[in-house]
Amino acid sequence: MRLELLLPIILPLFAGALSLALWRSLWLQRALAVVMTLAMTLAGAWLLHSVSGEGYLVTDMGGWEAPFGITLVADIMAAIMVLMTGVMGLIVTVYSLGSIPEGHERFGYYPLMHLLLAGVAGAFLTGDIFNLFVWFEVLLLASFALMTLGGERAQMEGAIKYVTLNLFASAIFLSAVGITYGMLGTLNMADIAQKVGQLEPEDTGMITVVAMMYMVAFGIKAAAFPLFFWLPASYHTPPVAVSALFAALLTKVGVYALFRFFTLIFDQDVSYTHGIMLWAGALGMLAGVLGAAAQFEFRRILAFHSVSQIGYMIVALALMSPLAILGGIFYIVHHMIVKSALFLVSGVTYRLMGSHELKDLGGFYKHRPGLAVLFLIQALALAGIPPLFGFFAKFAVIRAGIEAGEFVVAGVGLLVGLLTLYSMIKIWAEVFWKKVPDHVTDTDRLTGVVADSSIWLLYLPLILMAIATVALGLFGQPFYTLVEAGAHQLLNPEGYIEAVLGRGE
Amino acid sequence: MALLLIVLLPVLGALFTGAFAGNNARLNSLIAMLAPLVSLALALSLLPAILQGELVLAHWQWLPRLDLALSLRMDGLAMLFALLIIAMGLLVLLYGHFYFSGKPKDNQRFNGLLLLFMTAMLGIVTSENLLLMLVFWEMTSLVSFLLIGFKADQRAARRGARMTLVITGGGGLALLAGMVLIGQIIGSYQLSDVLASGDQIRQHSHYPLILLLVLLGAMTKSAQFPFHFWLPHAMTAPTPVSAYLHSATMVKAGIFLLARFHPVLAETDLWLYSVSTVGMATLLTGAFVAMFKHDIKGLLAYSTISHLGLITLLLGMGTRMGLIVGLFHLLNHAMFKAPLFMMAGIVEKATGSRDMQLINGLWRYMPYLMVLTGICAAAMAGLPLLNGFLSKKMFFAETLQSPFTGVLGWLTPTLAAVAGLLSVAYSVRIFHNVFFNGLPRDLPVFPPRPPARGILIPVTVLTLACIVVGLVPQYVVHTLLQQAAHAALGAPLPAYNLGLLHRFNLPFLMSALALTGGLVMYLYRRQLFAIYDRMPEVDAKENFEWLMLRAGNFAERQVHRLENGSLQRYGALLVATCLVLAGSALTGLTTWGGGVTTPADPVTVLAAVILMAAAVAAVVIHRQRLLALLLIGTCGLFVTLLFARFSAPDLALTQLSVEVMAVIIMMLALSFLPQTSPRESSSLRRLRDLILAVATGSGVAVLAYTVMTRPAQSISGFFLDNSLTGGGGSNVVNVILVDFRGFDTLGEITVLAIAAMAVFALTRNLQLKERVTRESGSYWASEPHPVILRMIARPVLPVALMVAGYIFLRGHNLPGGGFIAGLVASVALSLQYMAGGLVWAHQRMLTAFRPLIGAGLLLALATGLGSLAFGAPFLSSWFNHYHLPLLGEVELATALLFDLGVFMTVVGATLLILANLGNLMTLDGPGKEIG
Repeated sequence: MRLELLLPIILPLFAGALSLALWRSLWLQRALAVVMTLAMTLAGAWLLHSVSGEGYLVTDMGGWEAPFGITLVADIMAAIMVLMTGVMGLIVTVYSLGSIPEGHERFGYYPLMHLLLAGVAGAFLTGDIFNLFVWFEVLLLASFALMTLGGERAQMEGAIKYVTLNLFASAIFLSAVGITYGMLGTLNMADIAQKVGQLEPEDTGMITVVAMMYMVAFGIKAAAFPLFFWLPASYHTPPVAVSALFAALLTKVGVYALFRFFTLIFDQDVSYTHGIMLWAGALGMLAGVLGAAAQFEFRRILAFHSVSQIGYMIVALALMSPLAILGGIFYIVHHMIVKSALFLVSGVTYRLMGSHELKDLGGFYKHRPGLAVLFLIQALALAGIPPLFGFFAKFAVIRAGIEAGEFVVAGVGLLVGLLTLYSMIKIWAEVFWKKVPDHVTDTDRLTGVVADSSIWLLYLPLILMAIATVALGLFGQPFYTLVEAGAHQLLNPEGYIEAVLGRGE
Repeated sequence: MALLLIVLLPVLGALFTGAFAGNNARLNSLIAMLAPLVSLALALSLLPAILQGELVLAHWQWLPRLDLALSLRMDGLAMLFALLIIAMGLLVLLYGHFYFSGKPKDNQRFNGLLLLFMTAMLGIVTSENLLLMLVFWEMTSLVSFLLIGFKADQRAARRGARMTLVITGGGGLALLAGMVLIGQIIGSYQLSDVLASGDQIRQHSHYPLILLLVLLGAMTKSAQFPFHFWLPHAMTAPTPVSAYLHSATMVKAGIFLLARFHPVLAETDLWLYSVSTVGMATLLTGAFVAMFKHDIKGLLAYSTISHLGLITLLLGMGTRMGLIVGLFHLLNHAMFKAPLFMMAGIVEKATGSRDMQLINGLWRYMPYLMVLTGICAAAMAGLPLLNGFLSKKMFFAETLQSPFTGVLGWLTPTLAAVAGLLSVAYSVRIFHNVFFNGLPRDLPVFPPRPPARGILIPVTVLTLACIVVGLVPQYVVHTLLQQAAHAALGAPLPAYNLGLLHRFNLPFLMSALALTGGLVMYLYRRQLFAIYDRMPEVDAKENFEWLMLRAGNFAERQVHRLENGSLQRYGALLVATCLVLAGSALTGLTTWGGGVTTPADPVTVLAAVILMAAAVAAVVIHRQRLLALLLIGTCGLFVTLLFARFSAPDLALTQLSVEVMAVIIMMLALSFLPQTSPRESSSLRRLRDLILAVATGSGVAVLAYTVMTRPAQSISGFFLDNSLTGGGGSNVVNVILVDFRGFDTLGEITVLAIAAMAVFALTRNLQLKERVTRESGSYWASEPHPVILRMIARPVLPVALMVAGYIFLRGHNLPGGGFIAGLVASVALSLQYMAGGLVWAHQRMLTAFRPLIGAGLLLALATGLGSLAFGAPFLSSWFNHYHLPLLGEVELATALLFDLGVFMTVVGATLLILANLGNLMTLDGPGKEIG
């Protein structure tokens, strides 16, 4: 029994249940949220530490050995994702303390957030496809509930689109699980991977069909092209802290599942399956950035860019080279930090000026130079400007593309980087450089005439994230070594299979 | 180490000024200048070795996996540029101190950014690693962006900055691609390796692509035609910035790149024609437009473009001598252009304007500045005894010996002479127009304020440099230039002598012609201005913005075709995507079905047919909501029957109770909606949906058939074998739920809890329109709580709860379990709501549903964690049999506790949903919150 493998799931689950039981006391819930996300972060760090030493960590739930029971498995990628989940949870919790309206808190903001984190961590750690489905449902419903907490019209519209389209994904996923079980008689991922490898040639066609179903199901979750519609329809509606948490985690679960399935299980017809993903990724990059170009609402711009960034991750997976996978993991981590930080910045600007529309914002460079720096670092990282972390993520993917001879895709990647830069600069020029627009009369909070005693709770996470973005760029070598080992694991699934099935004989 | 310090000291200085200087401008500038001074000293300490032809390398690891290393290299070329960058930087910092006098904050920001830029620029020229060079390359673009937008509240500044960043940043990305290609071909990103592999790269099939990409990087940075238009718009930056970045250093980075990669990329026809064409086009465009700019900085910007074109042309011709002349002119240009920019800044501060139509006759007010400007302008025009004359004459000489043949052979020198003529004209203009040409007109500040004494120091220093280099080049720059050219070429140099350049020959004649022609042109300037004013005006940055906006709108229309806000369309697209992908893979199947079949009995077939008919009917009459709901219920019941038919009583029981609860809840929801829904879809869309549905259904059917008819081995045998012995229960389904796959169940009850919370929040926040009152609605029963129902419901409750308890307890061995029991209990309790009403029911029961859910989850979790205390894995079960008096054989299992948690969660969640939905139904709307 490896406790560090279990804790990242159990801690938030426990915190969620406890918060529900303590629903009358908001203070206890808040304190619990900070303590538990911190504990989850520590557990994630512990897990990553163990995994980087031992390679794989495997634990059978209830003591039923694989492939019969449910097995939790952590490799380096999963451990990194879990750690990032804890970090993001902590960051957003701190930000929430200073920004979430009390109405939200009263309707279960904290328990829902805990359960969302539990769902995400569960999805990262499970080694069982049906259990993965269960965690997907946990996080889907939790995110849906978080989205609707405010009860505003736009939130309802966004949330209904979100949940409906994601239920399509669930249905497709569940059908695929059924077919997989029907064909192979097992639900354990390692066992599936082994059995797929031993199939007769005439049965592999069926595997490709199932692979396509998984691809679509996870593609919807990941907001890949052309399945991304739910994302720009919904991400800009909830409070910014929630958007930030979603931007960091929701799509990543889909991307992670794609990475897991299409390196571990479906790696026999790479030219077909990964060829499709390559072009889906490239088109996604373009679609997202073009969609963002026409937006003039801070959060909507950010939401569309997510589609584009997901494209990079999928391209990385499609290229299937060590460098590409390394780049893909970088990109996921980079995007978690950067995109949620940008959302959080939009929360501060909203709080100080009461709008998300670029035309109603301005003057932040003059009045809030610190915030300007925090934004600029993340915006440039998103656009892939060196030596920030985002550059190395993008560079690895593009270089892998060029090395694979996919010049068009690499070119698209570069072009999209440029357009992203343009888009970020648009925000920078409008929100930060531009003077306060003439039609805005209430600038007391912006200029600091009206004191805001809790705004440091919004700044603190932003400062930490900016440090992370810079530090991972400048002094990231240990992390790179780690991720390289992680990429190696993904590209050599025998290790995973052996770790799960070949124990204790 | 010295190398690293040379590069990093400026940025450290920037940090220091930020940390210690505060608002003390003098201290700030002092610290800011101290850092580059040390850098300069370090660079000079390396100079003797470099002049001996040595190569200094330094290497640290950064990211070996990505081939990014902190490798630095100091050779002649790097030294030439490094000295230029540091020396110029010091002078500009000094200038800036006076330029920003009275604005300590601006000065501080300027100093910080300038030092950061200096590090970036030094990084470019000393990089030994291609990727490191790129890092610094993008950094210069970025600092340039921030400096152009220095006066951020001006729209022009913001737009100019944006355009510049996109163009130079885009060039940087092209360069990145080029570097990766180079790295891939030779397998190394170290410059030494690259420089040694020129032939390999030139012969590679990707050579044209690489050349294109590298040139794109160089051309955008060095403002070459057709990317030159950003430079004039960069003039919104404060003047010291223009003098430093946009004249002396950053715009030369592209030239540096061409020189650096000369051994790798040059000496091919492709290089010759592409680079020299670009250079010539830039040279002429810049020189022509410069003459007509009334803004002093505008004129200087175009003249800078023109001079950059000249240098590019020299490098493009690819001769070795051309390279030397190019580097020489690059140095000279920095020496005479920077002081001219500084002059523009001084004049602007003194008069409040940069418009040469207003500024005239300043010699009276600033005689000393006039002398300095005169010398620098003369150097720019190419007057003898000054540095500009030398390099320009050498340039003419090069054009005469160009590798071009035929028409190009004489066209090149002719055009060069024309460009020379134009440059004389604008040089004369900037001097004569500012300091003579009558009297000042309508200046914002009059009389002009005399400049501070200190601000003239850097101008003087640079002017003197122009004279010294012009008089005795062989003693001042010759050796360094020779080493620089040697480093750039990596090959022996042709013999030449800078000291002999003042002799009379054909190039001298060209210079003389250019001088006279330029003077004549200036004399006729009014007529020329008139012609020029009639030409249409083009504002590049507005066009650029317009273009980007149009592109954005176009993009939006394209994206909008897919993404138009309609959920139906999104759904259709998702299904279609799945259909296409999975369907296309399905066509690759060779065998369908495997021959294992189960004989179908008539009853099953009948049930299946009814199930399908009910489903189809529900779709057909979905507008009649109540009927559709009933039909959905029918589907559910037949699924229940099918479960029973295939020997899954647990599933059947669960499905049955779920179905009941689901229908009740949906009935509650239906009461808020109209009885029928309007017809909203066009028939075309319904046809689309029909096709999608039929295709998807058939696809799933084919898949199911294929899978179910093939022989399969599964893990289910294990569960049958181990249920009793390992799990302590003979009901395998229940043991799977609470033991084998208890972890799934934990997740599922979490889902249920979340759903209940979601419904709770939704119903509390719901803003309902006014509901149909009881009186007006004929659909509503007149008596809300019929007596008979009330009478029956009360005795049913204890019985139903007993049944629930029974089902719960026996679950481990016979069909039943916590989930089903929970649903049964909920149904019984909800019956009380229906019979007696909310208020009545709530008076009689505990309603802390949320804590109940929480407690249920906690209990399930705690049971799982309990096993940890015994050293067993999470959720391990423990059971034993006891013989109790009266009750007989009793089994106690931890699984029962887990199941109790499930039971509590189910009851809590279901009732939370029901009570809150029901609460909405009361006529006075959502009252006190329940749960």
